[in-house]
Amino acid sequence: MSKTTQAPKALRGVGNFIDDRFHAAKMGEKNLRKVFPNHWSFMLGEIALYSFIILLLTGVFLTLWFKPSMIEVVYDGPYERLNGVVMSEAYASTLHIDFAVRGGFLVRQIHHWAALIFVASLVVHMLRVFFTGAFRKPREINWLIGVAIFTLAMLEGLFGYSLPDDLPSGMGVRILQGVMLALPLVGTYISMFLFGGEFPGEDIITRLYMLHVLAIPALLLGLIVAHFMILWHQKHTQYPGPGKTDKTVVGTPMFPGFAVKAGGFFFFTFAVIAGLSAFVQINPIHLFGPFTPTSITSGLQPDWYMGFMEGSLRIFPNWFDFQIFGYAVPIGVLVPGLVIPGIVFGGLGAWPFLEQWITGDKRAHNVADRPRNAPVRTGVGAAGITFYGLLWLAGSNDILSETFSISLYVTTYIFRVLVIVGPFVAYFVAKRICLGLQRRDRESLEHGYESGIIQQLPSGEFIEVHKRNSEETTEVLASKPEITSTALTEPAADDKGVRNPESRKAKGRIRRALAEWYTKDNVSFEGVEPHTGHHLHHSEEAVKEHASH
Amino acid sequence: MTENNTNSSGDETPERVVGTPADEKPVVTGAAVSEEGHAGPYPASETHFNTEEGQRRGEKVASVWFILAFLGGMGFLVSYFVFTPGDIADPQLGQYSNALLGGTLTLALFGIGAGMTVWARKVMPHYEVSSPYDELPSSDKEKGSFGDFFMQGADESGFTKRPLMRRTLILAMVPLGLAPIVLLRDTGPLPGDKLKQTPWENGRRMYVEGTHRHVRAEDLENDPYGMISALPAVDDDHYPHGISLNDAAKSVILLIKMPAEDWKSSMEEDIEVEGEVASRLNWTHNGIIAYSKICTHVGCPAALYERTTHRILCPCHQSTFDASDAAKVVFGPAHRPLPQLPIGVDDEGYLIARGDFTEPPGPTFWDYAKD
Amino acid sequence: MKWITARRRHPLAGYVVVILALALFGVGYAAVAPTSDQAQAQTLAADAPSPEDVDVAEGKTIFDQTCASCHGLDGSGGEFGPDLRDVGPAAIDFQVSTGRMPSMNPDAQMPRKPMVMTEQELADLIAYYNESIRNDGSGADVPYDVPDIEPHPDDFAPLRSDFDSEEAYEEAVEEAEAEYQAALEDYQAEYDAYISGADDTEMGMRLYLTNCAHCHGWSGGGGALTDGRWAPEIHESTPREIYEAMVSGPGAMPMFSDGVIAPEEKQELISYVKTLQAEPDAGGIFNLQRVGQVAEGLIGWVVGLALIVACAIWITAKQRAHD
Repeated sequence: MSKTTQAPKALRGVGNFIDDRFHAAKMGEKNLRKVFPNHWSFMLGEIALYSFIILLLTGVFLTLWFKPSMIEVVYDGPYERLNGVVMSEAYASTLHIDFAVRGGFLVRQIHHWAALIFVASLVVHMLRVFFTGAFRKPREINWLIGVAIFTLAMLEGLFGYSLPDDLPSGMGVRILQGVMLALPLVGTYISMFLFGGEFPGEDIITRLYMLHVLAIPALLLGLIVAHFMILWHQKHTQYPGPGKTDKTVVGTPMFPGFAVKAGGFFFFTFAVIAGLSAFVQINPIHLFGPFTPTSITSGLQPDWYMGFMEGSLRIFPNWFDFQIFGYAVPIGVLVPGLVIPGIVFGGLGAWPFLEQWITGDKRAHNVADRPRNAPVRTGVGAAGITFYGLLWLAGSNDILSETFSISLYVTTYIFRVLVIVGPFVAYFVAKRICLGLQRRDRESLEHGYESGIIQQLPSGEFIEVHKRNSEETTEVLASKPEITSTALTEPAADDKGVRNPESRKAKGRIRRALAEWYTKDNVSFEGVEPHTGHHLHHSEEAVKEHASH
Repeated sequence: MTENNTNSSGDETPERVVGTPADEKPVVTGAAVSEEGHAGPYPASETHFNTEEGQRRGEKVASVWFILAFLGGMGFLVSYFVFTPGDIADPQLGQYSNALLGGTLTLALFGIGAGMTVWARKVMPHYEVSSPYDELPSSDKEKGSFGDFFMQGADESGFTKRPLMRRTLILAMVPLGLAPIVLLRDTGPLPGDKLKQTPWENGRRMYVEGTHRHVRAEDLENDPYGMISALPAVDDDHYPHGISLNDAAKSVILLIKMPAEDWKSSMEEDIEVEGEVASRLNWTHNGIIAYSKICTHVGCPAALYERTTHRILCPCHQSTFDASDAAKVVFGPAHRPLPQLPIGVDDEGYLIARGDFTEPPGPTFWDYAKD
Repeated sequence: MKWITARRRHPLAGYVVVILALALFGVGYAAVAPTSDQAQAQTLAADAPSPEDVDVAEGKTIFDQTCASCHGLDGSGGEFGPDLRDVGPAAIDFQVSTGRMPSMNPDAQMPRKPMVMTEQELADLIAYYNESIRNDGSGADVPYDVPDIEPHPDDFAPLRSDFDSEEAYEEAVEEAEAEYQAALEDYQAEYDAYISGADDTEMGMRLYLTNCAHCHGWSGGGGALTDGRWAPEIHESTPREIYEAMVSGPGAMPMFSDGVIAPEEKQELISYVKTLQAEPDAGGIFNLQRVGQVAEGLIGWVVGLALIVACAIWITAKQRAHD
């Protein structure tokens, strides 16, 4: 570390060449110094980014052979078992990738596994951001972009799943078309225009192919770049700790430490996906057989990220379907097909603004909340996960029924009840746990931590020695913000007895009620000083002192 | 990640404009603030350099990983040529090829990842620095200046002051905005009554899907509980199956044979087929009844027929229809019974349709009940 | 214990505990999970047994002892069992050879089990059924030309008690082994001939996917029906059993007579199923039991994402000044 090595001449040459044209040195240095907080949960989004890159690379490879055509052909190719079978060119060309292109099978499986991991990592990344309150000002726009990426990723996956035109994939398209037909007034028109006529027609795969390889990836790429640039500009949030404030970010600089770590992480992500693809068979379309609209298999499922839609279609009853002037309004299709995803994605998009409206908090936040310190938000998140998770499980109720020998209809009834009750239970349980953890935090802050050492005092009393928390822990514990809302601090009436006009209106009253709900359950840390608790005489020094008396 | 260096726009405010005063709380974590410290504009915390010996060990470990990765990568290249394209057409060899290519690729990738991680953790010094967040809202002065400049420009352009020009420009944009929507018109035909009509018509025979043999009444009626999927005998040479997928998708039927005593009373209800009104039972033949196989929920083939309960279950969303009771919905999300196809038998003993379905088959849509 | 105590506050301790708990859970589940019923392959496929090979009187004894309590002495059925007079010998052969009959619990759907009778006893039973119970040719006959169960060495093994000397016994064992090998070869030849005798994959696939897959699944893995019933997995079914199931309609399954699907068309169908079942999994050695998307999603989360997150934890794990 004595002396810095001189930059090699070639590198300096290139650097100068660029700098002469862009004045890049200052900006470059600033970016090389960008600070990344050191915590694994900040790398979840990177999994999504890397899976997306893998998807782009493998997707390009697959397009070299895939033919998005629904022309029916009689198969005569390398995969002998299916010789003589009537299938679409799309299916036949997928067989070609699997059985006539070396590495084709591997790349196709990497593409599929990467897609599953891509959406899964989006979800966990989103949950991390939600539970730590990292969506708060100034990052609401990036949150919305994230919601859009999630929505598009689902569509992208669904369309990609449909392309090989195998038995389950065609059924996915069929269900999509069935939901479309249910739309009042315009349903049949939309379906006819999208499919170029009746189902299945001869156009849909060509059109889904365009959406899958061009339109949606372009949108996704644009949104991901925007997401990233905003992140770069606003910098990461960080967990509370020494020196970590709303004004200062602490972490590893981009260059060299983080760049190497992030690069390594790309290879890890790719390695895990490649490992799965090497040994675990996924979506074996050559075994399914080609799509026909007249056949179906039991245990039919979409890929996991469409599971919640499938589940809501399964458990929503037909009780609310009605006819108006002889025209059908199949609520049993419309609600699960449109309203439930609307609730899921709309709710995600609206939450930051709703929370801000409730608390009236207009400050910028760079220090992430510990989930326990925002019990209502954490409870709502847990309720959301439960709602989504139960719908997702309901999407495989036939498999559950068969695996655990429960009557099929009973599983449906169970899920109908659970989907309504479960979120409330999850909300209350999660909130109770948060409050319990807050109490423990307060205890730990006041008294230090239990060392596990039992000592007997000369008086015969047994005590457990409490030790002082490290400064870092103390800082983290003490960082708990007070949850308040301006709705509650604004007086309901001024000193002359005139009621505040805001609070009189219905909107104001609702806001006040929500603010009450959002803030009322909290363990106050007011007046708590670190290591001042009455148990502190059980700390080691105190014991020694005691002993010396 | 590195690519994003160049992504950042060039006109970002320079770092130190914010000028977070250096008297920010010093970042200390109990450990010494580093002996030599990290040379940079921001205070570093927890700096520790790996010892020279430690670095050397790290270098060795990282190199081992990189060598493994190299071997993996070489193995990948070799694996590619181990099999010929002809070999992998055999699924067993295909599995070996896939495992070999994928396994070596995994080794290569994992080796690089692990090597880089060891490099970052064992060779590089570890420290954390702090840097200020950018102050986000611009100052009032900056905002004011921007606003003034913008409005001055807008006034200068005349856009605010010349309504005629402004409105005609907007007017000129409207048809262009509509053009892309209009252009999509030819993506498909209008629905018309395409969803309401199928190739079934009076006198049309049916064949078993897969065998293309026309179904005779005696094929089914001798078993007490028969069932088979059937399609109209369209026999159009244009299609490998003799029928287009579009037609197959809406005209596929389930032929079910059940004992006479199992019919429920609703089967006596009258339905109208091709102007003739008769009971549903009248449109069956010797215990054989035909229902559309396409679920009225969202269109999966509803085909799980239990002969003991006469339930027809759709495997997608578990709508259940009672085949002995005019295919009424007994469970699940579907609302509408499966349409019945009136059948009879011709002079040669073949089963035939006696008209089209009683209702449009397939998923329920807005105007399915309208003529 | 000291070792553990010293490390319980290690930053990675929590993860270790979680992983151990998961492992424990997995092992525990594997220990209590029911092991699947393995049907024992028992005898040789055969042509229709000739009258001198069967013992009708023995068949009557078997019927009266094992079947009559539910189905009645004349097979006309009773409170616990259906009328057998019209079901045909194919149904008898199917129910007994898949171990579903005789059943201890007439209300419940029976899973596949090892057959309780010997092949000879079954032949006797069927002979008695044909002679005394069956209504004049009703129901389907046993398709004797469709291959049945693979021969099993136990059926050829001589009993030690039948021999006086060790040498004689050993000789007999050797002979039996040779007999078994010959029978196995015969069986295999017959099986291969039946399967490869079908050459129209298109027909077999269409028939299977349109008429069978909605219950038994695209891979023959089975599926859920209503009221807790299920369509069984058909991987262990012999071609003859599949054939018999189609013509006799066991349980809730409808019948597919030789009229709607002719014997050679059934051969195509059966060949499709068995060929698909024997097909190696080109995508990887782990085929997830061919369950499909649910299993893939599960693996994607609990293996894929979890491993990647584990890597992230390694990369960002705290480095203390003295590690």
